[in-house]
Amino acid sequence: MSVPHARGFLLLRRAGSVWGIANGDVDGLAARGAGYRISAGGEMVAADEILGVVENLNVRPPAPALLRFWGAEAPVGLAVHGLLPVVVVDPRRLPAALRLQDGERLGEEPDEARR
Amino acid sequence: MNESLQAVDSRTRREEGTHLLVRAGEYSCALPLTLVRRVVRALTVHPLPGAAGELEGLAEFGGEPLPVLNLARLVSSPPGANPSYPVTVVVWVGPPEAREMVGLSADAALEVVHVPAGSIVAGDGGFVQGEAPVGTEVIRVLNLEALGSEH
Repeated sequence: MSVPHARGFLLLRRAGSVWGIANGDVDGLAARGAGYRISAGGEMVAADEILGVVENLNVRPPAPALLRFWGAEAPVGLAVHGLLPVVVVDPRRLPAALRLQDGERLGEEPDEARR
Repeated sequence: MNESLQAVDSRTRREEGTHLLVRAGEYSCALPLTLVRRVVRALTVHPLPGAAGELEGLAEFGGEPLPVLNLARLVSSPPGANPSYPVTVVVWVGPPEAREMVGLSADAALEVVHVPAGSIVAGDGGFVQGEAPVGTEVIRVLNLEALGSEH
């Protein structure tokens, strides 16, 4: 499965939050076990669920109060889609939650990784 | 003329000392009413992995993303009893030239009280401006302008 280069953002769920990646950064997307792997910006992004692609997202810079308590993971910006807050990230500066975990890294199925 | 000026001055000082009293864990905290935008039933918060404990996560408020901070954690309060009507207090924080909106999760909104500036003592000069007596209780008076600018 691949993601066409289009305007907008790919929305995904990971670790209980909704994240957005600019479509222009997305090179590919593949199902792996119960989740997905997204190739973006030269990095591999892990997702629990793909929510879809949205064309328009009003992205605002993160507030200083948020950066103060979440500075190490500094996102590109914040937005809302429907009633869901979205954290927009740069795949070249991925938050830890979006990185592949050890068992996921080699393309192993999660069940295989636990054996 | 002097009397009317004094009346306006007195009213201004009274407005500046008017606070919303909220329960956060075992503490009662006073938030400047002029910086409170709204009090709503506790918003649904989406956690942010890797965030400090004070940052509960993000919520949606009026179509905008809203960072929600845990007030009890911010004031280092011991946890209180399970709240019956938890609230999110939407406030402006930061210096006047760079205001930003955040949500403060609290156990309950209590009442509006007047806290004269002269009654506030033992402040750290930061987010907790100091303590003041209100009725039979000693409350924490908070400086929301310091919340967005402290590092």
